Amino acid sequence: MWPLSESNVASYFKSLIQKPAFLFIIPYFLVLLLLIAYPLYTNFYQSFQTESGLSLENYKNLFKNPLFFKILGNTGIWVAASVGLQFVIGLGLALLLNQPLKGRAIFRGIILVLPWATPDIVAAVAWKWMYNDMYGVFNDILVRLGLINTYLPWLGQPNLAKLAVIIANVWKGFPISAMLYLAALQTVPKDLYEAGSIDGVSTWQKFRFITLPLISPFILTTVMLTVMWTINYFPLIFTMTGGGPANATDTLVTFAYRKAFRFMDFSGSAALSTFTFLVILVFAVVYTRYLLREEEK
Amino acid sequence: MYRKSLITILMTVCFLFGLISVGGAQEKLVVWIGGHVVEQEETWAKIVEDFEKQSGVDVEYRLIGFEVYYDSLVTAYEAGEPPDVCFADLGGWVPTFASQGWLEPLDDWLASWEGVDQIWENLWPTVTYEGKKYGLPWYTDCRLLLYNKIMFKEAGLDPDDPPQSWDELLEYAKLLTDASQMKYGYGVSGAMSETTTLGYMIFLFGAGGELLTSDYRQAAFNTSEGLEALKFYTDLYTKHQVSPPGTPGYTEDDYRTMMAQNRIAMAIGGPWSFPLIELANPEIKGNYMVATHPYLREPASVLGGWASVISATSQNKEIAWEFIKYITSYDVWVYWIEQHGGPMPTRIDVCSDVPQFQDPKWKVILDTFPYAKVRPPIPEWPEVSHAIQSMVQRVLTGEMTSEEAIEWADNEVNAILGK
Repeated sequence: MWPLSESNVASYFKSLIQKPAFLFIIPYFLVLLLLIAYPLYTNFYQSFQTESGLSLENYKNLFKNPLFFKILGNTGIWVAASVGLQFVIGLGLALLLNQPLKGRAIFRGIILVLPWATPDIVAAVAWKWMYNDMYGVFNDILVRLGLINTYLPWLGQPNLAKLAVIIANVWKGFPISAMLYLAALQTVPKDLYEAGSIDGVSTWQKFRFITLPLISPFILTTVMLTVMWTINYFPLIFTMTGGGPANATDTLVTFAYRKAFRFMDFSGSAALSTFTFLVILVFAVVYTRYLLREEEK
Repeated sequence: MYRKSLITILMTVCFLFGLISVGGAQEKLVVWIGGHVVEQEETWAKIVEDFEKQSGVDVEYRLIGFEVYYDSLVTAYEAGEPPDVCFADLGGWVPTFASQGWLEPLDDWLASWEGVDQIWENLWPTVTYEGKKYGLPWYTDCRLLLYNKIMFKEAGLDPDDPPQSWDELLEYAKLLTDASQMKYGYGVSGAMSETTTLGYMIFLFGAGGELLTSDYRQAAFNTSEGLEALKFYTDLYTKHQVSPPGTPGYTEDDYRTMMAQNRIAMAIGGPWSFPLIELANPEIKGNYMVATHPYLREPASVLGGWASVISATSQNKEIAWEFIKYITSYDVWVYWIEQHGGPMPTRIDVCSDVPQFQDPKWKVILDTFPYAKVRPPIPEWPEVSHAIQSMVQRVLTGEMTSEEAIEWADNEVNAILGK
């Protein structure tokens, strides 16, 4: 391509257009442009709109709001705990489901599809009732197991509510992680384990030195994706607690929703959305660069 | 050859139909109906059909469930494609929408409408923004004490003698609470929800306090009455524990469901609660009742309801006015009450004429209604309400004392209104 000259550029585009893959991508690319780039642009533009023209005021107001930092902290906890637990449970289950087992397909179907396929609102309402402190099944089970003495107000106390929405989210989100890890595990050649067995390595060593290095690219991909999904995940919290009690479960997206749809502060909400977008962009860039590097290898 | 010409004919037909439907769109009135009345589909069909016959106008109407209604409306207005006519929550939404320039003022039409004197006087402020009226109130309600007669009897209380003062409320609630059976005397709305603000307001007004100054430009609840109300309201949960442990996550709707199961004896409710509590448990029919909410100094209630509004961008404003005038007419309302028995019409003449309202429950409602106050009809209301909710939640969760929380909310509300 370098040095850049007219004929160079022309021939570059010519060769690009001649590639069938490129032609197949065009319609998808155009739709993406329309459905993603345009709203992104209007949101970005609106975030600078104030009554007195374009300015940084919406952003200033955002960073001046003490609630913003509390919500940023909440979002951090929500994402770290949800993604962490989804990783541990997802990988653990994937390892179990990768063992030769009778009726494995049925287990996989029930464990990996059911929570994931439940519609968000249905899951949220169901969890809300399960956490109920008057007749919630969750409390009932914990009391019967002897873990607690009296019913706990799961959604009524700030710290419990944080924990409660995270548990619900982990339940809702672990299947997709487990499914991706299971797919990853199946790419690991069996003969490596056989070779290991001959050399007399332990199960833990097999996992540590064979499985983990081979599936680590998949782990990174999955964690990145779940981080982005979790930051953006709105319906569960909104339906279960509405961000309460006392903003304990408010995250960037529930706050942005409230700003726009409850307070009619569309510009303020746009500024918050742009901020959220930038946070996600950081993860997206890391992820994309990693993918590109993998491709070059 | 034959097949080819068949396709051509089909395509031509389709194209012509397309033209006709585009041409016909001119005289169509688009109406969105939301709120608690959308389940009465057949009645709406009949009302709309009668209007179509009478006026010769084609009405395209949609009945939209409450959960998605608000977001659908805001999205439609924000996108510049709103319905010609829609229902909006009076008090909360009408002034907010008007401040965005989304609504058409109705003053000129109202001036020449004979029904204007029949609308309850205390409803007009809910649809007024900067001196102009933007909505015609359609149905209304007021908040009352909803209580469970079975639980009253079990606790040895007279089910026909509900508490009238705060002292009685606390006394009764204590008698009605049995935590070991998970039965509680009074449900304090404490969730991040409008009902929490409404709960506080009823206690505030009952103590003789005001929420905002009369020009709505400043907070007015940071007074001894306001503090008294906040303390009493939150003490029911934190100190006396007559409200369930999950209080900071519950709304009056949750309590109504629990009341249907004989777990909550008293909570705030209203005329809309009747079908819903019976839906939650049909056996509760005849075993619940309403009363004016207990108060400290003066009877208090908060009114709510829905109004018809016309979009500023509508191409059919005259027809739109004809439509909302028609649905708010005496005859349509009497027909509606004959069919459903409620909700409460905004027309005084209908309320006093229909035999259905001779029922004791409706007597309580109509007696309490004149005391009912509006939520401040200002565009900042959702933010103000959110500050009140946070204030209550902070006390309920023990994050702040009542004194600290009311001071905090006072500053917060003044900052919102001072913008």
